[in-house]
Amino acid sequence: MTLESCYAAMGADYQDVLSRLRSERLVQRFVLKFLDDKSFELLRSSLAQGNTEEAFRAAHTIKGMCQNLSFTQLERSSTALTEDLRAGGSDRVEGLFAQVQADYARTVEAITAYRDQPE
Amino acid sequence: MPAGRGINTQQEKILIVDDSEMNRSILADMLAEDYEIVEMEDGVAAVSYLRGHVMELSLVLLDIVMPRLDGFGVLEAMQQNHWIDDVPVVIISAENGSNQVERAYALGATDFIPRPFDALIVRRRVVNTLLLYAKQKRLISMVEEQVYEKERHSDLMIDILSHVMEFRNGESGLHILHVRTLTDLLLSYLMEKTDRYHLTMADIALISTASALHDIGKMAIDEKILNKPGRLTDEEFAIMKTHSTVGADMLSNLPVGRDDPIVKVAYEITRWHHERWDGRGYPDGLQGDAIPISAQVVSLADVYDALTSERVYKPPFSHEEAVAMICRGECGAFNPLLIQCLTENAEQLRTALTRDASETIKRTKLRGISEETLRGEGGGVSKRTLRLLDRERMRNSFFASMSQTIQFEYTRSPSMVSLSTWGAQRFNLDEIIMNPFTDRRILELVGRDSLEEIIQKMAATTPEAPELRIDCPLHYDGMARWHRVILRSLWSDDEIPQIEGALGTVMDIHDTQMHLMELEHKADRDTLTGLLNRASARKRMEMRMGDSPESHYALAEIDIDDFKIINDVYGHMFGDQVLQQMARSITGSVRSSDICCRAGGEEFFIFLEYRTDIERTIDRIFKSLCFTYKGRRVTVSMGVALGEDTGLDFDAMYHAADSALYAAKRGGKCQYQFYKPDMAGLLEDRRDGSVHHSQHTH
Repeated sequence: MTLESCYAAMGADYQDVLSRLRSERLVQRFVLKFLDDKSFELLRSSLAQGNTEEAFRAAHTIKGMCQNLSFTQLERSSTALTEDLRAGGSDRVEGLFAQVQADYARTVEAITAYRDQPE
Repeated sequence: MPAGRGINTQQEKILIVDDSEMNRSILADMLAEDYEIVEMEDGVAAVSYLRGHVMELSLVLLDIVMPRLDGFGVLEAMQQNHWIDDVPVVIISAENGSNQVERAYALGATDFIPRPFDALIVRRRVVNTLLLYAKQKRLISMVEEQVYEKERHSDLMIDILSHVMEFRNGESGLHILHVRTLTDLLLSYLMEKTDRYHLTMADIALISTASALHDIGKMAIDEKILNKPGRLTDEEFAIMKTHSTVGADMLSNLPVGRDDPIVKVAYEITRWHHERWDGRGYPDGLQGDAIPISAQVVSLADVYDALTSERVYKPPFSHEEAVAMICRGECGAFNPLLIQCLTENAEQLRTALTRDASETIKRTKLRGISEETLRGEGGGVSKRTLRLLDRERMRNSFFASMSQTIQFEYTRSPSMVSLSTWGAQRFNLDEIIMNPFTDRRILELVGRDSLEEIIQKMAATTPEAPELRIDCPLHYDGMARWHRVILRSLWSDDEIPQIEGALGTVMDIHDTQMHLMELEHKADRDTLTGLLNRASARKRMEMRMGDSPESHYALAEIDIDDFKIINDVYGHMFGDQVLQQMARSITGSVRSSDICCRAGGEEFFIFLEYRTDIERTIDRIFKSLCFTYKGRRVTVSMGVALGEDTGLDFDAMYHAADSALYAAKRGGKCQYQFYKPDMAGLLEDRRDGSVHHSQHTH
């Protein structure tokens, strides 16, 4: 599995990220780092506790990482959630979060598969 | 100069503030190659780091949305603490709504980098911002250095003068320092109070410095009168009073510097510091504002300090007593405005004098004001003052940039060179360089040949002739510019003096040097054709023959046939064009190392070095010099002399070539002749006038 096919699997734009960061090694490093990021957990727990402000920041961070890594699909859903939370959160939050969760899962699966493949 | 990439400058430090570890890493990765990176994960951490390290930082990259304290909060803190004046902030954020950007700019952000990051954009913006600030910082420190240096010199002069005066006048050496401090303060208060005297900060500095000279005339007064403990007789007092005119004469009779502003001000002070506001003073009985303001202020400062100091004939009065006596008019008559300045600021004046008067706080004051100016806010300083200060700053930087002079000092043991701050920055060097003669950066700057010349010439200096001067190109910032290096060696006091080191200056003379070289080039050349003229061609030929006398040389003298006809029939303009075309044909037919010359009129010559078969070469050259120009056939006659026939002597070769040329003309023109000994008589015939050859003119 190449990094490019990993990107394809998660609905992300490999050419775009490569054109900005200019090195496959760099992209790979940060893609793998994405797995260690705790923002999604923070987002879920903050929403569960009704802490909109913290949830907004967590969603915002996810959105920012996605922008940097050109994770197009997850970026789209996290942006929608971020904007809703920025305005204080509406009744759409639950549905928006479900979409983020689905995209996040798909992303993490693709990266994990890429990381764990035999040499 | 690429910011932060210079080999010699230490790496610039960038603070990255972002709550996302990934964002920080991406940025750090993009920049780590060229900069030192510090990372902070939120606004609070950033502010606490800034508190201790702001002066080390070159740039802050700041995220907006962060927990605890967001980017705007950090910007506000930076503004409150004035850190934003020293460190530029570039905002990085996905928040590109225009009011967010606007708010960040309003809070002092310098630039904005949008997310997602593009490595090229990030690097370029960082470099741009650093460049901008580096330039500003350089300018500030340059101006400060210049002004400080100037002050240090004048302070030193005043110290020396005070001590001399102390010896002579039996006054406390502090008197001159006190007068200076008082003058400075009184003038500052006066400037706040009124615009009447059009005082600038520069004027105040000038007047207070010149105030040190107010009693210089006392040097000429007999010591017996000067230090007489009792009361002076009328006659003695009359002599004493001459010190003001004597002092003024000393200044106006100076052989140099009479027109210098400081000498003019010193003249006013020296001559008129005993005038009175009511016109009853001496020597000229000036009244009111007919007395220059400089003299008025020094007069008051002088009286005040005399009252509060101990003298052979009186104990010191307290500050309050002195002020009261002056106000009651017991010690002279003064400008009421100045009296106001004195009474209204009595407390500050007293503190200023009780402090060690020589310890002025000019430098901090200067820095403070320049910061205020840069921030563009008035604070306690009026707009007018700022404008004046601005002008002073401009003047200083102008003079600094005009003089282009850089000072340095060399010590032999330990072997090191210290450069002025500005000089170090100019040449991208450290201020202190150990073992300069083997230092790679010095070698790159000066070049091996020049460096060796300097070492050699320095070794040849003596205590009697310690100066040496070298013009050489210096290489920095990717260019080579001509500089003049002047060194003065310093010698030990030993019986056999040893060089201990040297003082030096470096001056940029590039433009002058280029101009000179251009003039030299012009002086060497014929203006119409650009070929060498006769004198310079001769010089070069002689040099060539002297350098390698074993080579074979030929001199070909060329004369355009019937040039007079060309000129007469087609006009001088056409004639000139033919000459220019001939010059092109000549240079086109020889190697660039050959010497081509227009000797005058339509006469040219070529000096060439050859190995074998000079006949073929000459034949080829001759053919290329006969051409058709704009329908007109142009031909030449040519006489050739070989060095082996005539000897390597310019006159001999030229004479022989001339004879051969004459033979060619006589043979019917449009041909060439090699010199043969039997031609020697030809020229003499011509000179006798027995043979006329109208075309062969000079």
